[in-house]
Amino acid sequence: MDIAPLKTLLLKGDLEFWAQLQSRTRAAVDFEELFLLSSLRKKAHARKLTRPKPPKEKLRLAIIGGCSLYPLHELVEHLCEVENFPVELWQGDYDNYLSEIMDDASGLYAFAPNVVFLLPAERRCFYTGKLTDPREHVQAEAQRVVDSLLELARKVNGQTGAEVITTNFMLPVRHDLGAFRSRTLGSDWSFRKWVNLELGLNAPSFLHICDWEFLANRIGGLAARDERSWFESKQPCSSALLVELAREVAQLIFSLKRAPKKVLVLDLDNTLWGGVVADDGLEGIELGDTSPRGEAFKAFQKYIAALKPRGVLLAVCSKNDFAKAAEPFEKHPDMVLKMEDIVSFKANWEPKSENIRAMAAELNLGLDSFVFVDDNPAEIEIVRQFVPEVTTILLGPDPADYVAQLADCRLFEPRNITGEDAERTQQYRSDVQRKNLEASVTDMASYLESLQMAAVISEFTPVDVPRLSQLINKSNQFNLTTRRRSEAEVSAVMNDKNFIGYSVRLKDKFGDHGLISIVIGEKSGDMLQVDTWLMSCRVLKRGVEEEVLNELVRLAKSKNCLRLEGAFLPTPKNEMVRDFYLRMGFTLTAESETKREFELRLENFLPVPTKIKIIRRAYESS
Amino acid sequence: MNQAEVIAQLQTIFDTVFLEPVVLTPAISANDVPEWDSLTHISLMVAVEKSFGVRFRVGEVENAKNVGEFAELILKRKQEA
Repeated sequence: MDIAPLKTLLLKGDLEFWAQLQSRTRAAVDFEELFLLSSLRKKAHARKLTRPKPPKEKLRLAIIGGCSLYPLHELVEHLCEVENFPVELWQGDYDNYLSEIMDDASGLYAFAPNVVFLLPAERRCFYTGKLTDPREHVQAEAQRVVDSLLELARKVNGQTGAEVITTNFMLPVRHDLGAFRSRTLGSDWSFRKWVNLELGLNAPSFLHICDWEFLANRIGGLAARDERSWFESKQPCSSALLVELAREVAQLIFSLKRAPKKVLVLDLDNTLWGGVVADDGLEGIELGDTSPRGEAFKAFQKYIAALKPRGVLLAVCSKNDFAKAAEPFEKHPDMVLKMEDIVSFKANWEPKSENIRAMAAELNLGLDSFVFVDDNPAEIEIVRQFVPEVTTILLGPDPADYVAQLADCRLFEPRNITGEDAERTQQYRSDVQRKNLEASVTDMASYLESLQMAAVISEFTPVDVPRLSQLINKSNQFNLTTRRRSEAEVSAVMNDKNFIGYSVRLKDKFGDHGLISIVIGEKSGDMLQVDTWLMSCRVLKRGVEEEVLNELVRLAKSKNCLRLEGAFLPTPKNEMVRDFYLRMGFTLTAESETKREFELRLENFLPVPTKIKIIRRAYESS
Repeated sequence: MNQAEVIAQLQTIFDTVFLEPVVLTPAISANDVPEWDSLTHISLMVAVEKSFGVRFRVGEVENAKNVGEFAELILKRKQEA
């Protein structure tokens, strides 16, 4: 570890020292490294380089136990202070915790702690009888060990009101007893496991378990032990485990003061599935049991789904087209997460920081209760910069590790799970739906405005003929009459004075949609018959329909027409425009199985306002 | 490896651990270095064992009276390793 930059900051008296110290401390793995950082912190205090904006009150923490509490206390103090939870420490004497707790006049009570951290002596947690004793005898003795610990905790809590954190017991790591170990409750292995379980299951709400058994198991039993350090200086475990123990206590102390996070905001592409759904399509994304990567993404979704009944709200924030982003949730057979699991679904092109702000407002939750997960460092960075209250998790390069990353993030650890937690998602969902509805009424206009749309309307031109014919021959859904025309037929329309024909090109701030709508009309006396009206569905409900009609009326009037006639010719694919003319203000004049006919009188027609800027109109030289 | 080389390698460890520079000599001991308290000692020993790839036996480090004797102990344990 290169400690020189930190030393330089300290010697210069630069306050950046504290920010650096925090990030180095978070990343530190080794005991020596953490210890070194702690000594630098103390030297900073000695040099009067104090942390900016320290909290007014320090938490009063007493550490007592059956082993040396030194240097453990040093690590705990360090971890708390760098996270801006400074503690005032009081250390008990080596293996003096019983009398410190039982004697009302002890230094422990004079100190008046807010939190007491107890490390009961491991060497007093064993069965004193024979390995072959009846199980009931052993259970009774295990219960006495548990009861005496609970009694100590109750006494401390009753006397001081302090929250109590106690370690449980590490398990043996030697082969001693062999397979018989687990066939008797009298072995240290079984006895301590039993005590640990009973202790956890019977702990009152003021008592928090620092799960030493789990921590030792996590780093490996052999790596957790160091007999020499016990004989030399009464260290309870290896220095590697001491680091884990200190971090766990610090975590428990933070969790007494800090609420757990409430909302998990998820990216989609390469987070919930492999690949990019808008490019690769529903069939192309990696998700499910047919490939190892697909399995990994599915496992990640399963882990996330399991957070929901624990009271975590799930949200989606993706740079995507909404329909494309939603499609896997609705149609992909291997999606574990469904639309109804998501309280807020943001798939659009606004910055993610803004989307998360909007979510916080919708859900009426503080930004500091949000956690944002993404595989893209740039998205993580924008959220860090613009909504620093949000906690971010940058996923690593391998989806196989996603579950571990989230499961180790320590942000969603419940204290107690209630029935209410499980119902929370439903309740928030209806909130969001309501607000979305309100928003859609009031904000559709400003949304369309934000698109900065501009359209060019052009009469048919020779250069456009291939494109026109192509769209006329492939457009199915938004197509009133589905009349197909070859390039020659399009050219014929173009050159016939009785016909009008025009196309619309649309651009918005995200790009050019190209040629997206075509209309052909045929004049017959004072009436203009709409022969063809078609449009690309990509631009539905943005005002293009209205602008096309505005143009149609304008051209009809210029040809001295008094009314428009239009027909809907049903096909298996154009159901969506069955009532289109009615929506546009036409009246139904005739109806049969194969044709619906409509009419619009022009004398009272007023152009419909839209948010599209018309750059050029048809039959006008530009 | 001889004693001087061991002390040179120790020097780099001490430079990392201590804020105020300490020039190691065979005669120097913990009493001569204000920053070298029992807490720092634990950290130093972990770093030394890792750096030299040795493991001291129970109780033997505290028998070394100065850096020279400590270096000899490192050499002895290194020969076994």
